[in-house]
Amino acid sequence: MKTPSSIGPRAAAYALLMACATLSTVAFAKPPVSLAPLAVAEASVQHASTANTSADAPRELQIATDKLAAAREAVARRDHKRARQLAEQAELDAQVAELHAQTVRAERAANETQEANRVLDEELSRTSAR
Amino acid sequence: MKTRTLSLISLSTVLAACSAAPVRNDALDLARARVEAARADTRVTSLAPDELGAAASALLAAESAAKARGKKDDVSHLAYLAMQRAAIAQETAAGRSAQAITAGAGAKRDQMRLALRTAEADAAKRELASAEQSNASQATALAVANERGAKVDDLEAQLADMNARSTERGVVITLGDVLFDTGKASLRGGGAKMSTLADFFKNNPGRTATIEGHTDSVGSASLNYALAERRANAVEGALLGMGVPGRQLRTRSYGPDTPVADNGTAAGRQMNRRVEIVFAPRSEDVGKR
Repeated sequence: MKTPSSIGPRAAAYALLMACATLSTVAFAKPPVSLAPLAVAEASVQHASTANTSADAPRELQIATDKLAAAREAVARRDHKRARQLAEQAELDAQVAELHAQTVRAERAANETQEANRVLDEELSRTSAR
Repeated sequence: MKTRTLSLISLSTVLAACSAAPVRNDALDLARARVEAARADTRVTSLAPDELGAAASALLAAESAAKARGKKDDVSHLAYLAMQRAAIAQETAAGRSAQAITAGAGAKRDQMRLALRTAEADAAKRELASAEQSNASQATALAVANERGAKVDDLEAQLADMNARSTERGVVITLGDVLFDTGKASLRGGGAKMSTLADFFKNNPGRTATIEGHTDSVGSASLNYALAERRANAVEGALLGMGVPGRQLRTRSYGPDTPVADNGTAAGRQMNRRVEIVFAPRSEDVGKR
C-alpha cells in the first residue's frame, strides 16, 4: 500500500516537469503569429469605406478591399509573412483611397468657390462700370 | 524548414552570381520615381513635409533591402509601401492646396462682396448726385427762362387765370363780348388779360395760335363775318403791339357759324359774341417747324 507521502515528492516533481513542458510547447514551440497588421488594415479599410470614398475614389478603395481580402486568405493558408505584407499594403491603400476622395472633393469645392468668385467679379465690374 | 533554408541559400547563390550588376526591381524603380516626383513638387515639400519624410524613409528601407540582397518579393513589398507613401504625400498636398484655395477664395469673396456693396452704394450716390445735378441744371434753365420773363412752362397752368380750357382743337381762351363795344371792333379794355397773353407768346416762341372771331346771329351774315374778322384782327393787332411776333398768330372769322349758346336770348347772344384764341397743340408746332 502506497502512502501519498512516500511517492508524493517524486510524482509532484514529475507533474511539474510535464506541466512546464506542456506550457513551453504551447507558448514557444510554435511562435504565435501577430495579427496586429491585419487588424490595423481592417480598421483602415473600414475607415475608408464611406459613401464619399466609394463615390470619388472607387478604384483606389477597390484595391484596398481586394488586398485586405488577399491578406485574409494568406492568413487562412497560414502564409503569415505574405499576410503581414498584404495587410501593410492594404492599410496604405486604404489611406490613399480616403485621401484621394478627400482631395477630389476639396478640389471640387475650390473650383466651385473660384467660379462663384468669377461670377461675383463680373457682377462687380458691371456695377462699377454702371 | 530545411527546404526553405536550402532555397534561400540557392537564391543567395544566384544573387551573388549577378552581384556585379544591381538587381533590377520594377517596383523599386517605380517607387524611386514616385518619391523623386514628390520631392520635386514644391507643393508637396511645403504642404506635406511629414508625409514626404515617411515616403523617403520607406524608400530607404526598400533600397537597403535591395542592397542587402533581400528576397525580391520583400523588396517589392517595401517598394510598394514607399510608392503608396509617396501617393499619400501627393494626395495630402493636393488636398491641403485645394483647401487653401477654398479658404483664400472665401476671403476674396468676402472682399468682393464688400466691394460690390461699396460699388452699389457709390452707384446710388452717383445717381443721387446726377439727379441733383439735373435738378440743378433744371433750376438753371428755369432761372434763364425766368430771366426772359417766363413763369411756368405749362400752358394750362399759365393760362389758367384766363379760363383756358382744353378742347379737341387745342387750348382755347375766350375773350368775351365785354371787351368790345356793340358793333365795334376796337378793344374796350382787358389790358391785363392781353398783356398776360402777350407775355405768354413771347416766352413760348414755339407756340402758335389762331385768333377766331365769332358773332351772334343778329344782322346779316356778311356783316357779322366782317365784324368777326375785324375783332380778331383787333386782338391780333393788340398782341403785335405788345411785341408778339406775327408768325405766332393767325386770324380767322367764323361769323355766326359756331354759336356756343342760344341766339334767342340776350345772355346767349352775348356768349356767342366772342373772340377765341386757339393754341395749336405743341406737336403740330414741332411739325410745322
